Amino acid sequence: MEIWLDTALILVVLLGLFMTGSNRLGAIIQIFGLQSVVLGIVPFLMYFSKIEIHIVFVSLVAIVLKGFLMPYFLFWAIRHVSIRREVSPLIGFGTTLFLSGLLIAGSFILSSRLVFPGPAISDFIIPASFSTIMMGFLLLISRAKAITQVVGYLVMENGIFLFALLLLEKTPLLVEMGILLDVFVGALVMGIVVNHISDQFEHTDTSHLTVLRD
Amino acid sequence: MGPTISALMSILLHLSVILVFSPFILGVIGKTKAFFAGRWGPPVVQPYYDILKLLRKGSVYSTMTTWIFRAAPMIAMAAILAAGILMPFAGLKAPIQFWGDVVLFAYLFGLARFFMVLAALDTGSSFEGMGASREMTFSCLSEVALFLNFTVLALISKSLSLSGLIGGDVSLLWHVLGPALTLVVISFFLILLCENSRIPVDDPATHLELTMIHEVMVLDHSGVDFAYILYGNAVKLFILGSFLISIILPFKTQNVFMDTAVYLSGMTGLAVVIGVIESAMARLRLNRVPYLLISAVILAVFAFIITLVRGGF
Repeated sequence: MEIWLDTALILVVLLGLFMTGSNRLGAIIQIFGLQSVVLGIVPFLMYFSKIEIHIVFVSLVAIVLKGFLMPYFLFWAIRHVSIRREVSPLIGFGTTLFLSGLLIAGSFILSSRLVFPGPAISDFIIPASFSTIMMGFLLLISRAKAITQVVGYLVMENGIFLFALLLLEKTPLLVEMGILLDVFVGALVMGIVVNHISDQFEHTDTSHLTVLRD
Repeated sequence: MGPTISALMSILLHLSVILVFSPFILGVIGKTKAFFAGRWGPPVVQPYYDILKLLRKGSVYSTMTTWIFRAAPMIAMAAILAAGILMPFAGLKAPIQFWGDVVLFAYLFGLARFFMVLAALDTGSSFEGMGASREMTFSCLSEVALFLNFTVLALISKSLSLSGLIGGDVSLLWHVLGPALTLVVISFFLILLCENSRIPVDDPATHLELTMIHEVMVLDHSGVDFAYILYGNAVKLFILGSFLISIILPFKTQNVFMDTAVYLSGMTGLAVVIGVIESAMARLRLNRVPYLLISAVILAVFAFIITLVRGGF
């Protein structure tokens, strides 16, 4: 079972890598959905011997909300503002890929120094969650389009979700649900903002937000 | 006498499999592509016909060229065949193996490439010079990925010869380091596509387009020289492919012929996969190719990290 958990976690990191290297918004959103679905399966693999109702619930909510609802919503958003590609990122795609490689290595080094108090389930979970959070950050700061930044934010949340899975037995369900709801509402608000940007300014390049105009 | 003769037989079988079956893989790729295009396509043995036809023709040399242009195809083919001797497969031992032969293996391909590039520059054609510069650009990225993959396998198998890297008990390692090996396989597959100028990197079917890389370097070669180049490329694809197959299909029965059959069907499967990719994908734009190679490097780095964490070092 451990090898499947490892495989799922590596898949999560790889999908994150793919997102940082891709310039098509559609592909990025689809990969984000796939990453969320894989993340939704991870709790089953982690707690396969003692599956409780709230574990199933968290998984299902994560899969449905982040795997299907959010990508659907984001697709609706890119249809609405009709942009397909990230044309001029602030940091180039090759550099971003290289940086995410460094970040992954850094996460592994960092988490080897950390001692986590609790049941040792897999020593890949913490580095995988760190790398995912870092890659979310990277997407957030290196891309110019508002939608890619929304995805970066969601990827970051995926990393936090992965980290929270370690505490799944102890955290109340409400906290989990609260986080998921927060993210959903956040994405909704950002989507609306993105659409309003496109109505007002005819593009979603956030660097133009620093320029004042009537 | 007994062991000597069986060793000799094994070496003969090893060489004949490499020498005879290499163009067959190209034929399978062609047939797969034809199938996807809805054509009947040339027969699977067409690459053999092509090479035989070219061998019977004379060569034309430009007056601009020097001896390098004439020597390069022979040196390239010889280097690739020498790399084949270091390669174990299907329970057949490599005829030559020593500690550190992975480096020789990698740089025999490097030597072949170096001379092909020199020959391309020797023609004085700016078109070929462009192809040469592209070939070197991409190969310096794929070399990094290649050596990282070798490093991962060397860490896993604690050996620095090709026979140790992939001839050992890889099947046992799949249970422990399956994820790392999967990453190595994907990364190596990307390298294979790049080194053999297959589709996401280069289009082997076009001959006169400004985007091509490898084909443009051999435009001026003709006749016997071109046959050497074609055959050398076929053997190169076969050798790199068999590296991959040895990792994916590490099963060994004790029967040599059985192993060879399994291995050859694996190779055919690989050729079909390459054919499917070539039919389903478009060639990447030239400035996107480095990203593909950087991802191969990063996959290898990731595999390396996982091996360090999981391998108990």
